[in-house]
Amino acid sequence: MDFKNVLIAVDASDNARRAVDYAATILAPAPQTRVTLLYVERAPGRDHFETDEAWLNQCRLEHDRVFDFLKDAHARLTEAGLPEEAVQERKVLCSAEPSIAQTILDVQQEGGYGTLIVGRRGLTKGEEFLFGSVSTKLVHNAKNCAVWVVQ
Amino acid sequence: MPEAVLQPPLLSVRALVEHFKPPVGVGTYGTVFTDTTEFMSISYGDVIKVGGAHYLVLGDERERRFGMEDPKFWVKRCIELESGQYRILKLEFQETFDQHIGPLTITCHRSAAKEARILRLVAGDARFMQGQAHRDERGNLVRVLERVAGRRLDLNVEDIHADHRSYFFELYPDILERFIRACHAIHFLHSHGESHGDIRRDHLYVDHATGEYCWIDFDYGYDTTENPFGLDLFGLGNILAFITGKGVHTTQDRSQDDPAGPAITESDCSLFFRHRIVNLRKLFPYVPEDLNRVLMHYSATAEVYYETVPELLADLEPCLHTLRRA
Repeated sequence: MDFKNVLIAVDASDNARRAVDYAATILAPAPQTRVTLLYVERAPGRDHFETDEAWLNQCRLEHDRVFDFLKDAHARLTEAGLPEEAVQERKVLCSAEPSIAQTILDVQQEGGYGTLIVGRRGLTKGEEFLFGSVSTKLVHNAKNCAVWVVQ
Repeated sequence: MPEAVLQPPLLSVRALVEHFKPPVGVGTYGTVFTDTTEFMSISYGDVIKVGGAHYLVLGDERERRFGMEDPKFWVKRCIELESGQYRILKLEFQETFDQHIGPLTITCHRSAAKEARILRLVAGDARFMQGQAHRDERGNLVRVLERVAGRRLDLNVEDIHADHRSYFFELYPDILERFIRACHAIHFLHSHGESHGDIRRDHLYVDHATGEYCWIDFDYGYDTTENPFGLDLFGLGNILAFITGKGVHTTQDRSQDDPAGPAITESDCSLFFRHRIVNLRKLFPYVPEDLNRVLMHYSATAEVYYETVPELLADLEPCLHTLRRA
């Protein structure tokens, strides 16, 4: 695995932004580093909305939010000193199965990423029980790579 | 029973009742509703016409929990006039609300579409309540449900007149075996991408005839997270603790019932309900260690949680074998 081939898994949250900033600081001086910003997209559940229109509207809002985030994250990395051509974005669609964490690991394996960076929300035990923790799952299940968890 | 074909169309409740002669008396003739949007206006003596059938409304369903009755105005107890059979009609009521689980607040939604989908999925499967969904004249999704010929599992367990030791060795293995089958039923939903959404001990019924367990009420949903079935696993754990303990055991109960007994600490209690004891082996030393370990996955000190039903059953099924051999 090439540890300079870096995958940053983001979810358009403040935690993800912190992970990007941390990565930018650490990676910018490192030559030949390549960074992929990965967003695992999961559409909001249709059942939550009264009408198709409301659901589609929410999907569009989230799409725009993610687009803005990825653009901003890209800029943070290049402004820190990473070459423009060394940073790319990728979006992968995910349903309930496999999980977000598994999807990230599949991308990591497939792309030969030797370093995986993710933000951590700092869930309580109860929240982790009910909602699950992507970062915890990545730490437990990642193989052949280094995992950086940024809180 | 009169034929279902109405010649000419019967537009009044009186005419419908006189034609079909339902097995109950009707004191008040109300209105025939083909649009169920304003479900608060639909009450005793009205008829709901949907899906090619007519349903005489007997009243609103009531949820009975913790000694209180909570009316559910969107759920009507009915008789299907064409067949004379009792039915429950759940009318469309899309609602988003906060559900509190211990210190956590989860945003849930009530979804007729979800329940309709699951009813189609489980059609003919006795492990789940049966019914069909139809759209009314306005497009509202009305679920016509068959009443489960059974009684709530929690009431059945609470009514068992036996000390815990006798209950645990003589009755609990069968109860656990049926509960495991009920867990498999939940896994069936999960394997089709659906969650139950509201697993509670009063949503699991015991069939009068077969003694098998039947799940009801699948209209709750919540936003998908990394653990799409976490809430269902939480509910299954609560039921497991209830049937294993033959009830809920709290720190308050223990201090009153057995003040000289073993000290109960926070680590012996539920992760979410800090007064509920899940370390049941401390209260009942004959609870096998392997079974207690399953319960302790739901304790405040647990570091590893069940995320899927197969994970839970991988630990729970061997416990049943141990109990059977005992």
